[in-house]
Amino acid sequence: MDKLNMSRHISGKFNDELEAVRNQVLNMGGLVEQQLRDSLRAIETSDHDLAEQILQRDAAINKLEMQIDESCVQIIAKRQPAASDLRLIIAIFKTISDLERMGDEVERIGRVALESFSNDQQDFLVSLENLGQQVLAMLQKVLDAFARMDLDAAVEVHQMDALADRQYEALTRQLMTYMMEDPRGIPKVMNVLWSARSLERIGDRCQNIAEYIIFFVKGKDVRHVSSDALRQALTGQQ
Amino acid sequence: MISVTPTSSHTENLDLANLTAEQTALSIRHLNLHYGDAQALYDISMMIPKNQVTAFIGPSGCGKSTLLRCINRMNDLVEICRVSGEILLHGKNIYDKDVDVAALRRQVGMVFQRPNPFPKSIYENVVYGMRLQGVNDRRTLDEVVERSLKGAALWDEVKDRLNESAFGLSGGQQQRLVIARAIAIEPEVLLLDEPTSALDPISTLTIEELITELKKQFTVVIVTHNMQQAARVSDQTAFMYMGKLIEYADTNTLFTTPAQKQTEDYITGRYG
Repeated sequence: MDKLNMSRHISGKFNDELEAVRNQVLNMGGLVEQQLRDSLRAIETSDHDLAEQILQRDAAINKLEMQIDESCVQIIAKRQPAASDLRLIIAIFKTISDLERMGDEVERIGRVALESFSNDQQDFLVSLENLGQQVLAMLQKVLDAFARMDLDAAVEVHQMDALADRQYEALTRQLMTYMMEDPRGIPKVMNVLWSARSLERIGDRCQNIAEYIIFFVKGKDVRHVSSDALRQALTGQQ
Repeated sequence: MISVTPTSSHTENLDLANLTAEQTALSIRHLNLHYGDAQALYDISMMIPKNQVTAFIGPSGCGKSTLLRCINRMNDLVEICRVSGEILLHGKNIYDKDVDVAALRRQVGMVFQRPNPFPKSIYENVVYGMRLQGVNDRRTLDEVVERSLKGAALWDEVKDRLNESAFGLSGGQQQRLVIARAIAIEPEVLLLDEPTSALDPISTLTIEELITELKKQFTVVIVTHNMQQAARVSDQTAFMYMGKLIEYADTNTLFTTPAQKQTEDYITGRYG
Protein backbone atom coordinates (compact mmCIF):
# COMPACT_ATOMS: atom_id res chain seq x y z
CA MET A 1 0.00 0.00 0.00
CA ASP A 2 2.83 2.32 0.94
CA LYS A 3 4.49 1.61 -2.38
CA LEU A 4 1.46 3.02 -4.15
CA ASN A 5 1.81 6.30 -2.26
CA MET A 6 -1.82 6.79 -3.07
CA SER A 7 -2.73 8.75 0.01
CA ARG A 8 -0.12 11.44 -0.56
CA HIS A 9 -1.83 13.53 -3.20
CA ILE A 10 -2.49 17.13 -2.31
CA SER A 11 -6.03 16.54 -3.55
CA GLY A 12 -7.74 14.31 -1.00
CA LYS A 13 -10.52 13.60 -3.45
CA PHE A 14 -8.04 12.20 -5.96
CA ASN A 15 -6.69 9.91 -3.22
CA ASP A 16 -10.24 8.68 -2.61
CA GLU A 17 -10.93 8.11 -6.29
CA LEU A 18 -7.78 6.06 -6.80
CA GLU A 19 -8.38 4.10 -3.61
CA ALA A 20 -11.95 3.36 -4.69
CA VAL A 21 -11.01 2.13 -8.14
CA ARG A 22 -8.22 0.00 -6.71
CA ASN A 23 -10.65 -1.59 -4.27
CA GLN A 24 -13.04 -2.32 -7.11
CA VAL A 25 -10.26 -4.17 -8.94
CA LEU A 26 -9.48 -6.22 -5.83
CA ASN A 27 -13.19 -7.07 -5.50
CA MET A 28 -13.35 -8.12 -9.12
CA GLY A 29 -10.22 -10.24 -8.68
CA GLY A 30 -11.77 -11.81 -5.59
CA LEU A 31 -14.90 -12.74 -7.55
CA VAL A 32 -12.91 -14.35 -10.36
CA GLU A 33 -10.83 -16.27 -7.83
CA GLN A 34 -13.99 -17.51 -6.11
CA GLN A 35 -15.44 -18.58 -9.47
CA LEU A 36 -12.32 -20.52 -10.38
CA ARG A 37 -12.16 -22.20 -6.99
CA ASP A 38 -15.84 -23.15 -7.19
CA SER A 39 -15.56 -24.49 -10.71
CA LEU A 40 -12.69 -26.77 -9.66
CA ARG A 41 -14.72 -27.95 -6.67
CA ALA A 42 -17.79 -28.51 -8.87
CA ILE A 43 -15.73 -30.76 -11.15
CA GLU A 44 -14.19 -32.63 -8.23
CA THR A 45 -17.51 -33.25 -6.52
CA SER A 46 -19.63 -33.39 -9.71
CA ASP A 47 -21.81 -30.71 -8.14
CA HIS A 48 -24.25 -29.69 -10.87
CA ASP A 49 -25.95 -27.02 -8.76
CA LEU A 50 -22.69 -25.25 -8.05
CA ALA A 51 -21.81 -25.42 -11.76
CA GLU A 52 -25.10 -23.72 -12.60
CA GLN A 53 -24.44 -20.99 -10.05
CA ILE A 54 -21.04 -20.32 -11.57
CA LEU A 55 -22.62 -19.75 -14.96
CA GLN A 56 -24.98 -17.19 -13.47
CA ARG A 57 -22.40 -15.30 -11.43
CA ASP A 58 -20.31 -14.29 -14.44
CA ALA A 59 -22.66 -11.36 -15.06
CA ALA A 60 -21.47 -9.69 -11.84
CA ILE A 61 -17.87 -9.79 -13.08
CA ASN A 62 -18.84 -8.24 -16.40
CA LYS A 63 -20.70 -5.49 -14.61
CA LEU A 64 -17.72 -4.70 -12.39
CA GLU A 65 -15.48 -4.45 -15.43
CA MET A 66 -17.76 -1.81 -16.91
CA GLN A 67 -17.92 0.13 -13.64
CA ILE A 68 -14.13 0.17 -13.28
CA ASP A 69 -13.74 1.22 -16.91
CA GLU A 70 -16.05 4.11 -16.21
CA SER A 71 -14.14 5.13 -13.06
CA CYS A 72 -10.83 5.06 -14.93
CA VAL A 73 -12.21 7.16 -17.79
CA GLN A 74 -13.42 9.73 -15.28
CA ILE A 75 -10.05 9.87 -13.55
CA ILE A 76 -8.26 10.37 -16.86
CA ALA A 77 -10.69 13.08 -17.95
CA LYS A 78 -10.67 14.97 -14.68
CA ARG A 79 -7.21 14.38 -13.21
CA GLN A 80 -4.91 13.93 -16.19
CA PRO A 81 -2.82 11.45 -14.21
CA ALA A 82 0.92 11.40 -14.86
CA ALA A 83 3.84 9.12 -14.05
CA SER A 84 2.96 6.40 -11.48
CA ASP A 85 -0.70 7.49 -11.32
CA LEU A 86 -0.93 7.14 -15.09
CA ARG A 87 0.82 3.77 -15.01
CA LEU A 88 -1.58 2.60 -12.30
CA ILE A 89 -4.64 3.54 -14.36
CA ILE A 90 -3.22 1.85 -17.47
CA ALA A 91 -2.33 -1.25 -15.43
CA ILE A 92 -5.88 -1.31 -14.05
CA PHE A 93 -7.46 -0.94 -17.50
CA LYS A 94 -5.50 -3.90 -18.78
CA THR A 95 -5.84 -6.00 -15.65
CA ILE A 96 -9.62 -5.84 -15.56
CA SER A 97 -9.83 -6.74 -19.21
CA ASP A 98 -7.84 -9.90 -18.46
CA LEU A 99 -9.93 -10.60 -15.35
CA GLU A 100 -13.13 -10.35 -17.36
CA ARG A 101 -11.81 -12.81 -19.94
CA MET A 102 -10.77 -15.15 -17.11
CA GLY A 103 -14.38 -15.01 -15.95
CA ASP A 104 -15.48 -16.21 -19.40
CA GLU A 105 -12.93 -19.02 -19.30
CA VAL A 106 -14.17 -20.13 -15.87
CA GLU A 107 -17.67 -20.39 -17.29
CA ARG A 108 -16.33 -22.86 -19.85
CA ILE A 109 -14.56 -24.86 -17.15
CA GLY A 110 -17.78 -25.02 -15.15
CA ARG A 111 -19.52 -26.80 -18.02
CA VAL A 112 -17.34 -29.90 -17.46
CA ALA A 113 -18.93 -30.28 -14.06
CA LEU A 114 -22.30 -30.69 -15.78
CA GLU A 115 -21.04 -33.86 -17.50
CA SER A 116 -21.00 -37.32 -15.95
CA PHE A 117 -17.80 -39.27 -16.26
CA SER A 118 -17.15 -43.02 -16.02
CA ASN A 119 -14.60 -44.42 -13.59
CA ASP A 120 -11.88 -44.87 -16.18
CA GLN A 121 -12.28 -41.24 -17.17
CA GLN A 122 -11.51 -40.09 -13.62
CA ASP A 123 -7.75 -40.15 -14.32
CA PHE A 124 -7.76 -37.15 -16.52
CA LEU A 125 -10.10 -35.34 -14.17
CA VAL A 126 -7.35 -35.66 -11.57
CA SER A 127 -4.82 -34.21 -14.04
CA LEU A 128 -7.27 -31.41 -14.82
CA GLU A 129 -7.61 -30.77 -11.09
CA ASN A 130 -3.80 -30.52 -10.75
CA LEU A 131 -3.59 -28.04 -13.57
CA GLY A 132 -6.49 -26.16 -12.01
CA GLN A 133 -4.73 -25.94 -8.63
CA GLN A 134 -1.56 -24.61 -10.22
CA VAL A 135 -3.53 -21.95 -12.10
CA LEU A 136 -5.54 -21.07 -8.98
CA ALA A 137 -2.27 -20.60 -7.07
CA MET A 138 -1.07 -18.29 -9.82
CA LEU A 139 -4.26 -16.27 -9.69
CA GLN A 140 -4.14 -15.93 -5.90
CA LYS A 141 -0.54 -14.89 -6.00
CA VAL A 142 -0.98 -12.37 -8.78
CA LEU A 143 -3.95 -10.77 -7.03
CA ASP A 144 -1.89 -10.53 -3.85
CA ALA A 145 0.95 -9.02 -5.86
CA PHE A 146 -1.48 -6.52 -7.38
CA ALA A 147 -2.83 -5.50 -3.98
CA ARG A 148 0.68 -4.78 -2.72
CA MET A 149 2.21 -3.90 -6.10
CA ASP A 150 4.85 -6.46 -5.18
CA LEU A 151 7.49 -6.76 -7.87
CA ASP A 152 9.08 -9.99 -6.59
CA ALA A 153 5.74 -11.77 -6.36
CA ALA A 154 4.87 -10.62 -9.89
CA VAL A 155 8.13 -12.06 -11.22
CA GLU A 156 7.38 -15.34 -9.42
CA VAL A 157 3.93 -15.57 -11.01
CA HIS A 158 5.50 -14.88 -14.36
CA GLN A 159 7.71 -17.91 -13.85
CA MET A 160 4.97 -20.18 -12.49
CA ASP A 161 3.34 -20.18 -15.92
CA ALA A 162 5.99 -22.55 -17.31
CA LEU A 163 4.78 -25.34 -14.98
CA ALA A 164 1.14 -24.74 -15.95
CA ASP A 165 2.13 -24.98 -19.62
CA ARG A 166 3.91 -28.30 -19.00
CA GLN A 167 0.93 -29.71 -17.11
CA TYR A 168 -1.36 -28.64 -19.92
CA GLU A 169 0.78 -30.35 -22.54
CA ALA A 170 0.93 -33.57 -20.51
CA LEU A 171 -2.83 -33.56 -20.05
CA THR A 172 -3.37 -32.97 -23.78
CA ARG A 173 -1.23 -36.00 -24.59
CA GLN A 174 -3.14 -38.08 -22.06
CA LEU A 175 -6.48 -37.02 -23.58
CA MET A 176 -5.33 -37.70 -27.13
CA THR A 177 -4.28 -41.22 -26.18
CA TYR A 178 -7.68 -41.79 -24.59
CA MET A 179 -9.52 -40.53 -27.66
CA MET A 180 -7.56 -42.86 -29.92
CA GLU A 181 -8.32 -45.81 -27.69
CA ASP A 182 -12.02 -45.07 -27.29
CA PRO A 183 -13.53 -42.84 -30.00
CA ARG A 184 -16.98 -43.10 -28.41
CA GLY A 185 -15.75 -41.02 -25.49
CA ILE A 186 -14.53 -38.17 -27.71
CA PRO A 187 -17.40 -35.69 -27.08
CA LYS A 188 -16.86 -35.80 -23.31
CA VAL A 189 -13.10 -35.78 -23.59
CA MET A 190 -13.33 -32.75 -25.86
CA ASN A 191 -15.07 -30.89 -23.05
CA VAL A 192 -12.22 -31.74 -20.72
CA LEU A 193 -9.76 -30.59 -23.36
CA TRP A 194 -11.58 -27.27 -23.70
CA SER A 195 -11.47 -26.82 -19.93
CA ALA A 196 -7.79 -27.60 -19.83
CA ARG A 197 -7.29 -25.06 -22.59
CA SER A 198 -9.29 -22.51 -20.58
CA LEU A 199 -7.17 -23.14 -17.49
CA GLU A 200 -4.02 -22.74 -19.49
CA ARG A 201 -5.35 -19.43 -20.85
CA ILE A 202 -6.12 -18.23 -17.33
CA GLY A 203 -2.49 -18.96 -16.45
CA ASP A 204 -1.40 -16.84 -19.41
CA ARG A 205 -3.64 -14.01 -18.27
CA CYS A 206 -2.17 -14.20 -14.75
CA GLN A 207 1.18 -13.80 -16.44
CA ASN A 208 -0.17 -10.74 -18.28
CA ILE A 209 -1.28 -9.16 -15.00
CA ALA A 210 2.16 -9.86 -13.54
CA GLU A 211 3.56 -7.90 -16.50
CA TYR A 212 1.26 -4.96 -15.78
CA ILE A 213 2.43 -4.95 -12.16
CA ILE A 214 6.03 -4.86 -13.33
CA PHE A 215 5.08 -2.03 -15.71
CA PHE A 216 3.54 -0.10 -12.85
CA VAL A 217 6.47 -0.57 -10.46
CA LYS A 218 9.37 -0.24 -12.88
CA GLY A 219 7.87 1.62 -15.82
CA LYS A 220 9.21 -1.10 -18.10
CA ASP A 221 7.30 -3.01 -20.74
CA VAL A 222 8.24 -6.67 -20.26
CA ARG A 223 5.67 -8.23 -22.55
CA HIS A 224 6.92 -10.78 -25.07
CA VAL A 225 10.27 -11.37 -23.42
CA SER A 226 11.68 -14.63 -22.06
CA SER A 227 11.90 -15.16 -18.30
CA ASP A 228 15.68 -14.79 -18.42
CA ALA A 229 15.44 -11.56 -20.38
CA LEU A 230 12.85 -10.38 -17.89
CA ARG A 231 15.13 -10.99 -14.91
CA GLN A 232 17.93 -9.26 -16.72
CA ALA A 233 15.76 -6.27 -17.55
CA LEU A 234 14.72 -5.91 -13.93
CA THR A 235 18.13 -6.34 -12.35
CA GLY A 236 20.09 -4.64 -15.09
CA GLN A 237 18.84 -1.12 -14.45
CA GLN A 238 17.78 1.06 -11.60
CA MET B 1 -17.06 17.38 -28.05
CA ILE B 2 -13.35 17.95 -27.71
CA SER B 3 -11.18 16.74 -30.52
CA VAL B 4 -7.76 15.57 -29.55
CA THR B 5 -4.88 15.97 -31.95
CA PRO B 6 -1.84 13.89 -31.12
CA THR B 7 1.21 16.05 -30.62
CA SER B 8 4.02 15.36 -33.00
CA SER B 9 6.66 13.62 -30.99
CA HIS B 10 10.18 13.59 -32.24
CA THR B 11 11.29 10.23 -33.45
CA GLU B 12 14.65 9.79 -31.80
CA ASN B 13 15.55 10.86 -28.31
CA LEU B 14 18.60 13.05 -28.02
CA ASP B 15 21.30 12.18 -25.56
CA LEU B 16 20.85 15.35 -23.54
CA ALA B 17 24.12 14.95 -21.68
CA ASN B 18 26.15 14.61 -24.85
CA LEU B 19 24.74 16.79 -27.59
CA THR B 20 26.99 17.49 -30.54
CA ALA B 21 27.88 21.09 -31.35
CA GLU B 22 25.37 21.11 -34.25
CA GLN B 23 22.59 19.87 -32.00
CA THR B 24 23.24 22.41 -29.26
CA ALA B 25 21.66 25.84 -29.07
CA LEU B 26 22.77 26.70 -25.56
CA SER B 27 25.10 25.12 -23.11
CA ILE B 28 24.69 26.08 -19.46
CA ARG B 29 27.65 25.20 -17.26
CA HIS B 30 27.85 25.34 -13.49
CA LEU B 31 25.59 28.34 -13.27
CA ASN B 32 25.14 29.82 -9.80
CA LEU B 33 23.10 32.91 -9.06
CA HIS B 34 22.80 34.96 -5.89
CA TYR B 35 20.40 37.76 -5.04
CA GLY B 36 22.45 39.48 -2.34
CA ASP B 37 23.14 36.76 0.22
CA ALA B 38 20.43 34.43 -1.00
CA GLN B 39 21.38 31.83 -3.54
CA ALA B 40 18.68 31.31 -6.17
CA LEU B 41 20.39 28.88 -8.55
CA TYR B 42 22.76 26.09 -7.58
CA ASP B 43 25.28 24.72 -10.04
CA ILE B 44 22.95 24.32 -13.01
CA SER B 45 24.45 22.47 -15.97
CA MET B 46 22.41 21.51 -18.99
CA MET B 47 22.47 21.51 -22.78
CA ILE B 48 19.53 22.96 -24.64
CA PRO B 49 19.08 21.42 -28.08
CA LYS B 50 18.53 23.43 -31.24
CA ASN B 51 15.12 23.67 -32.92
CA GLN B 52 13.38 21.96 -30.07
CA VAL B 53 11.11 23.08 -27.29
CA THR B 54 12.59 22.82 -23.83
CA ALA B 55 10.31 23.40 -20.85
CA PHE B 56 11.28 24.40 -17.32
CA ILE B 57 8.79 23.30 -14.70
CA GLY B 58 8.74 23.42 -10.93
CA PRO B 59 6.91 25.02 -8.01
CA SER B 60 6.88 28.78 -7.45
CA GLY B 61 10.25 30.10 -6.38
CA CYS B 62 12.17 27.11 -7.72
CA GLY B 63 14.31 29.32 -9.94
CA LYS B 64 12.90 28.42 -13.35
CA SER B 65 12.11 32.01 -14.37
CA THR B 66 15.43 33.18 -12.93
CA LEU B 67 17.22 30.60 -15.06
CA LEU B 68 15.26 31.66 -18.13
CA ARG B 69 16.14 35.29 -17.53
CA CYS B 70 19.82 34.39 -17.28
CA ILE B 71 19.73 33.25 -20.89
CA ASN B 72 19.34 36.80 -22.20
CA ARG B 73 20.83 38.51 -19.18
CA MET B 74 17.62 40.06 -17.96
CA ASN B 75 19.00 39.62 -14.46
CA ASP B 76 21.61 42.28 -15.22
CA LEU B 77 18.85 44.76 -14.44
CA VAL B 78 18.71 43.51 -10.86
CA GLU B 79 21.46 45.28 -8.97
CA ILE B 80 22.05 42.78 -6.19
CA CYS B 81 22.20 39.87 -8.61
CA ARG B 82 25.49 37.97 -9.05
CA VAL B 83 26.00 35.24 -11.61
CA SER B 84 28.86 32.76 -11.86
CA GLY B 85 29.35 29.96 -14.34
CA GLU B 86 28.79 30.07 -18.08
CA ILE B 87 26.06 30.08 -20.67
CA LEU B 88 27.52 29.33 -24.06
CA LEU B 89 25.85 30.48 -27.26
CA HIS B 90 27.87 29.41 -30.29
CA GLY B 91 30.68 28.49 -27.91
CA LYS B 92 30.87 32.03 -26.52
CA ASN B 93 30.03 32.74 -22.90
CA ILE B 94 27.26 35.35 -22.89
CA TYR B 95 28.54 36.61 -19.54
CA ASP B 96 31.96 37.53 -20.95
CA LYS B 97 32.83 41.18 -20.46
CA ASP B 98 33.06 41.94 -24.17
CA VAL B 99 29.52 40.75 -24.92
CA ASP B 100 27.13 43.44 -26.21
CA VAL B 101 23.94 42.79 -24.26
CA ALA B 102 21.74 44.50 -26.85
CA ALA B 103 23.19 42.23 -29.54
CA LEU B 104 22.66 39.22 -27.30
CA ARG B 105 19.01 40.11 -26.84
CA ARG B 106 18.58 40.31 -30.60
CA GLN B 107 19.76 36.70 -30.72
CA VAL B 108 17.74 35.64 -27.71
CA GLY B 109 14.22 37.08 -27.75
CA MET B 110 11.81 36.98 -24.88
CA VAL B 111 8.03 36.95 -24.37
CA PHE B 112 6.51 37.57 -20.96
CA GLN B 113 3.54 36.35 -19.00
CA ARG B 114 1.30 39.34 -19.73
CA PRO B 115 1.07 40.59 -23.28
CA ASN B 116 2.91 43.92 -23.40
CA PRO B 117 2.31 45.58 -26.77
CA PHE B 118 3.51 49.15 -27.13
CA PRO B 119 0.90 51.93 -27.39
CA LYS B 120 1.29 52.02 -31.14
CA SER B 121 -0.30 50.46 -34.18
CA ILE B 122 -0.09 46.74 -34.83
CA TYR B 123 2.31 47.47 -37.69
CA GLU B 124 4.62 49.64 -35.60
CA ASN B 125 4.68 47.07 -32.82
CA VAL B 126 6.03 44.41 -35.17
CA VAL B 127 8.67 46.62 -36.79
CA TYR B 128 9.80 48.25 -33.54
CA GLY B 129 12.97 46.17 -33.32
CA MET B 130 13.78 46.73 -36.98
CA ARG B 131 13.45 50.49 -36.61
CA LEU B 132 15.75 50.36 -33.58
CA GLN B 133 18.27 48.68 -35.84
CA GLY B 134 17.89 51.57 -38.26
CA VAL B 135 15.84 49.76 -40.90
CA ASN B 136 13.22 52.13 -42.30
CA ASP B 137 12.74 50.95 -45.87
CA ARG B 138 8.98 50.57 -46.26
CA ARG B 139 9.11 47.55 -48.50
CA THR B 140 11.46 45.64 -46.16
CA LEU B 141 9.30 46.52 -43.18
CA ASP B 142 6.12 45.43 -45.01
CA GLU B 143 7.71 42.07 -45.69
CA VAL B 144 8.83 41.69 -42.09
CA VAL B 145 5.33 42.50 -40.83
CA GLU B 146 3.67 39.96 -43.06
CA ARG B 147 6.24 37.25 -42.40
CA SER B 148 6.25 37.79 -38.63
CA LEU B 149 2.48 38.01 -38.28
CA LYS B 150 2.09 34.87 -40.37
CA GLY B 151 4.77 33.20 -38.24
CA ALA B 152 2.81 34.13 -35.14
CA ALA B 153 -0.46 32.87 -36.68
CA LEU B 154 -2.02 36.33 -36.47
CA TRP B 155 -1.85 37.63 -40.04
CA ASP B 156 -5.32 36.54 -41.17
CA GLU B 157 -6.93 38.19 -38.19
CA VAL B 158 -5.23 41.59 -38.46
CA LYS B 159 -4.14 42.08 -42.07
CA ASP B 160 -6.95 44.58 -42.74
CA ARG B 161 -6.27 46.73 -39.70
CA LEU B 162 -2.52 46.93 -39.38
CA ASN B 163 -2.66 50.62 -38.59
CA GLU B 164 -5.11 50.30 -35.73
CA SER B 165 -3.93 50.36 -32.14
CA ALA B 166 -2.54 47.11 -30.75
CA PHE B 167 -4.67 47.65 -27.65
CA GLY B 168 -7.78 46.85 -29.69
CA LEU B 169 -6.69 43.21 -29.90
CA SER B 170 -7.82 40.48 -27.52
CA GLY B 171 -5.39 39.15 -24.92
CA GLY B 172 -4.55 36.08 -26.99
CA GLN B 173 -4.04 38.22 -30.10
CA GLN B 174 -1.86 40.66 -28.15
CA GLN B 175 0.32 37.78 -26.97
CA ARG B 176 0.70 36.55 -30.53
CA LEU B 177 1.53 40.12 -31.58
CA VAL B 178 4.27 40.20 -28.96
CA ILE B 179 5.58 36.90 -30.32
CA ALA B 180 5.49 38.42 -33.84
CA ARG B 181 7.48 41.38 -32.52
CA ALA B 182 10.01 38.99 -30.97
CA ILE B 183 10.46 36.91 -34.12
CA ALA B 184 10.56 39.95 -36.45
CA ILE B 185 14.23 40.45 -35.71
CA GLU B 186 14.85 36.74 -36.30
CA PRO B 187 16.42 35.66 -33.04
CA GLU B 188 17.88 32.18 -32.68
CA VAL B 189 16.39 31.47 -29.32
CA LEU B 190 12.96 32.44 -28.09
CA LEU B 191 12.37 32.53 -24.35
CA LEU B 192 8.74 32.28 -23.26
CA ASP B 193 8.03 33.09 -19.63
CA GLU B 194 4.60 31.61 -18.86
CA PRO B 195 3.26 32.90 -22.17
CA THR B 196 -0.28 31.62 -21.68
CA SER B 197 -0.94 32.06 -17.98
CA ALA B 198 -3.00 35.20 -18.61
CA LEU B 199 -4.95 33.70 -21.52
CA ASP B 200 -8.18 31.75 -21.88
CA PRO B 201 -8.02 28.04 -22.84
CA ILE B 202 -8.71 28.57 -26.54
CA SER B 203 -6.05 31.28 -26.92
CA THR B 204 -3.75 29.01 -24.93
CA LEU B 205 -4.23 26.20 -27.44
CA THR B 206 -3.55 28.63 -30.32
CA ILE B 207 -0.27 29.68 -28.70
CA GLU B 208 0.66 26.06 -28.02
CA GLU B 209 0.01 25.22 -31.65
CA LEU B 210 2.16 28.20 -32.57
CA ILE B 211 5.02 27.02 -30.37
CA THR B 212 5.13 23.75 -32.27
CA GLU B 213 5.43 25.75 -35.51
CA LEU B 214 8.02 28.14 -34.08
CA LYS B 215 10.49 25.42 -33.24
CA LYS B 216 11.05 24.74 -36.92
CA GLN B 217 12.85 28.09 -37.08
CA PHE B 218 13.81 28.86 -33.51
CA THR B 219 14.98 27.15 -30.38
CA VAL B 220 12.22 27.62 -27.84
CA VAL B 221 12.65 27.63 -24.09
CA ILE B 222 9.43 27.91 -22.11
CA VAL B 223 8.69 28.32 -18.44
CA THR B 224 5.24 27.14 -17.49
CA HIS B 225 3.23 26.45 -14.37
CA ASN B 226 0.92 24.29 -16.41
CA MET B 227 2.39 20.81 -16.39
CA GLN B 228 0.03 19.51 -19.03
CA GLN B 229 1.21 22.34 -21.23
CA ALA B 230 4.82 21.32 -20.75
CA ALA B 231 3.82 17.76 -21.54
CA ARG B 232 1.97 18.85 -24.69
CA VAL B 233 4.39 21.30 -26.26
CA SER B 234 7.90 20.41 -25.17
CA ASP B 235 10.43 17.91 -26.45
CA GLN B 236 12.40 17.91 -23.21
CA THR B 237 11.52 19.02 -19.75
CA ALA B 238 13.67 20.20 -16.88
CA PHE B 239 12.23 19.91 -13.38
CA MET B 240 13.66 22.40 -10.89
CA TYR B 241 13.23 22.53 -7.16
CA MET B 242 14.65 25.06 -4.72
CA GLY B 243 17.16 26.43 -7.19
CA LYS B 244 18.45 23.05 -8.27
CA LEU B 245 17.98 21.14 -11.49
CA ILE B 246 16.50 17.88 -10.24
CA GLU B 247 15.80 16.08 -13.47
CA TYR B 248 16.20 16.85 -17.16
CA ALA B 249 14.91 14.33 -19.65
CA ASP B 250 12.90 13.93 -22.79
CA THR B 251 9.31 14.89 -22.06
CA ASN B 252 7.81 11.48 -22.79
CA THR B 253 10.05 9.84 -20.23
CA LEU B 254 9.71 12.54 -17.61
CA PHE B 255 5.93 12.41 -17.60
CA THR B 256 5.59 8.62 -17.61
CA THR B 257 8.61 7.28 -15.75
CA PRO B 258 10.50 10.05 -13.99
CA ALA B 259 13.74 8.87 -12.42
CA GLN B 260 13.63 11.11 -9.34
CA LYS B 261 11.10 10.86 -6.55
CA GLN B 262 10.86 14.66 -6.27
CA THR B 263 9.86 14.88 -9.93
CA GLU B 264 7.32 12.10 -9.48
CA ASP B 265 5.79 13.85 -6.46
CA TYR B 266 5.55 17.15 -8.28
CA ILE B 267 4.00 15.96 -11.52
CA THR B 268 1.54 13.67 -9.78
CA GLY B 269 0.52 16.38 -7.33
CA ARG B 270 1.82 14.75 -4.16
CA TYR B 271 3.21 16.36 -1.05
CA GLY B 272 6.94 16.90 -1.42
